[in-house]
Amino acid sequence: MEKKFKLSSTIHCDVLIIGAGGAGLRCAAHILEKRPGTHILAVTKVSHPQKSHTSTAQGGLAAVDPKDAVDKPIYHMFDTWKGSDCMADQPVVQKIIDAAWEEIVWLENKGMHFTRDEEGRLSKRTFGGHTVRFGEASAFRAVFEADRTGKGIMDNVWGEALKGGVTFLNQTLLTELLFQKDRCVGAVLFMVKKGEFVAVSAKATVLATGGCGQVFRVTTNCRQNTGDAHAVALQAGLPLMDMEAVQFHPTGIVGPGILASETLRSVGGILRNKDLEPFMAKYAPKMKELAPRDLVARAIETEIREGRGILNPDHNIEHVWIDLRHLSDYVHEVQIPEVSGFFKQFMNLNPRTHLCPVRPSNHYQMGGIPTNSFGEVQKSPDTTISGLYAAGECGCASFHGFNRLGTNSILELITMGRFVGERVVLFLDEGEARLPADAGDKTFLQFSGYLENKNEENIEQIREDMRRMMTENVGVFRSEDGLNTAIRTLFVFKERVSGAALRSRGLQMNQELVQRWELDNLLSVSMVIAQGALRRRESRGGHARVDFPHRHDEFNSHTLAYMLDFGKILFSNRPVDMSIYEAKGENFEKFGMMERKY
Amino acid sequence: MKESYSLIFNIKRYDPESRKSWVQAYGIEAGRILRFTDVLRKINKELDPTLSWNSSCEHAQCGSCSVVINGQPMLACELLVENAVDHFGTTTFTIEPITVAPVLRDLVVDLEKAYDRVHRIRPFIITPSQNPNQGQEYRISPRLMDRYLEATRCINCFCCATACISSHKGFIGPNAVLASVVRIMDPREDATEERLKQLYSDEGVYRCHTSMACSHVCPKDIDVAHFIGLVKDGDFT
Repeated sequence: MEKKFKLSSTIHCDVLIIGAGGAGLRCAAHILEKRPGTHILAVTKVSHPQKSHTSTAQGGLAAVDPKDAVDKPIYHMFDTWKGSDCMADQPVVQKIIDAAWEEIVWLENKGMHFTRDEEGRLSKRTFGGHTVRFGEASAFRAVFEADRTGKGIMDNVWGEALKGGVTFLNQTLLTELLFQKDRCVGAVLFMVKKGEFVAVSAKATVLATGGCGQVFRVTTNCRQNTGDAHAVALQAGLPLMDMEAVQFHPTGIVGPGILASETLRSVGGILRNKDLEPFMAKYAPKMKELAPRDLVARAIETEIREGRGILNPDHNIEHVWIDLRHLSDYVHEVQIPEVSGFFKQFMNLNPRTHLCPVRPSNHYQMGGIPTNSFGEVQKSPDTTISGLYAAGECGCASFHGFNRLGTNSILELITMGRFVGERVVLFLDEGEARLPADAGDKTFLQFSGYLENKNEENIEQIREDMRRMMTENVGVFRSEDGLNTAIRTLFVFKERVSGAALRSRGLQMNQELVQRWELDNLLSVSMVIAQGALRRRESRGGHARVDFPHRHDEFNSHTLAYMLDFGKILFSNRPVDMSIYEAKGENFEKFGMMERKY
Repeated sequence: MKESYSLIFNIKRYDPESRKSWVQAYGIEAGRILRFTDVLRKINKELDPTLSWNSSCEHAQCGSCSVVINGQPMLACELLVENAVDHFGTTTFTIEPITVAPVLRDLVVDLEKAYDRVHRIRPFIITPSQNPNQGQEYRISPRLMDRYLEATRCINCFCCATACISSHKGFIGPNAVLASVVRIMDPREDATEERLKQLYSDEGVYRCHTSMACSHVCPKDIDVAHFIGLVKDGDFT
């Protein structure tokens, strides 16, 4: 083996946090509050924690204010359960929702700039799917910081982590998890800037790397959301759960995929195809544009598939139009200024005089690395890996089941981040972890392979081809034929990429090398999504099979997928925990199987 | 309306291994509404996979993709091809890394070093003030918040610090001042004196020559100079 593939040093710490976004740093802040002086190493792939994907969340953070005379946690639990298409784990739903307001107070007390009402209290707004009295009326439940709630959270948890003395390692990748028997004892990292590999020995390791939206061509996700921890977990023989549960937002702006919020439709925006026909009447004669997210997404996708889309030549992406031209100046100026601004900023269009291009955009991964309600990573439904935790979008406890409600994602990352912190504090008394002798071997094999390849393939091109193929076959609509095509094609991509030569041969700040590694991660995650979707012969939440358009009780369980060799997946299941329903307590009947109809 | 443009990108490059730097010209055809980040990706795909650049969210929310384009610091993700042609009156663009941190490779800088300035002002509440509603949120009037909310929109892209005529000469920099002003004006912070002492120190606001370049280049349209002015006047009311 070449000399440059070696561990340059070993770092010892108490807690290693991989991913310094909202979940990771909330966890760090909690640990430091309870055990000041704990040595925490927080690692991020991006150039600084503040650049994390958490920062891009716009809308709000759902939490029931105990001072609210109308709203109750039980209503929020019901909404989340119903929204999940009966696939969330009920104790997790209860635990997160019960802790929600405490977290809001924590964030506020630490300095988050929540939007206020006239009395100086936190303002609240409504959001789709959030109701009071079990669906009777809309709930004012989402606190927010203007249209930048995620940024508010990020700035705050980063500030607290910094204040508490966290050591940050930016532009650094997790390439391998290290174990002694069934205990995680740390990880191997690749420091991109220096081009060096290091081993980290940690009593506890927390995975919080976010989602994997880059699997799809049009996505609201950041460029770095490539499913890194997902792929590393698979490589370690751990399962991923419910990866076929992917949420698509109906109206992403072509081509960046930026979210054009529901508001556009609620204020009267009309969706039109290339013949300018207002097509929603065909799919939802009564609700039309106001139909639920998934229905609108499927309607748009159908129009495009049946040849009634429009091709954007610059981004080479098909779309439909949203027509806002008939709306009054008041609506444009007061009700939709931000989204209107996005069309101006990224498409050079004036929505008052021009039709605006939109199409479904990948938004959120409901599945992830399976954990229990403490965020402890599971190897199987009954066994956890000691010393290993996951929180945020990369983890799956599961709070969202097969469909996430708006404003529940940042609630989940902040609460699960804290829960993991609580667990880690208890675990820190465990003895020092010893690293295995073969630490780094897997990484060196992988990275030296990347640098030895010789063919003419271009990494960026394969990444684009893969994302396009996944959008087409594993996107809003799925079918047996399409999924089989996807799986076959993923093998072809893997073959193409396995020989791709890198033009940059050094290790130091080698962007191509990072992208090559990311592509392997994307391919692994894509394979698990595609095969999981093929196996689930039903439609549920974000997973829509045209050949199996209904939900079936035989699939009332979580998918667990193990993949040690690319494409060879071993499936098993984890039961959905319906203990609230089974306990037959007050309102238990609201937590049985029900239709997700609004 | 022109559908596509033939562009020349003269990109300043740097290789950390050989420590050489040079300017490389790329000729590329780009659709009118492609963002500069899309064009850089196109260069990676069609011309040169080795060209390194930085981005994350690519919709002007994270401030990772700041570069200097024809002398002006800006976010590559929100500059559309036709707007750039219109704004600069040319189809030839010189693209360089921002100047407030060492270059790692090509357009990628060591942002961590740039952030040292922000870390120095301690971007958190240093000493929390007494909360009369213990265990609940502080009550803060929206009118009081209105005075400093604009400053909280800063994404630390360092465009202002790059454009600032003083930030290379000992001034802590406009965005760092902004982060401190937010907490000085925030009623939840008690460490106002400590903060002011730093802002009136050797690296503080008196280094600022009021060129107002910060306000001029801010991609979030924050009037940064206004907040620096408040510190100079010592009047935050």
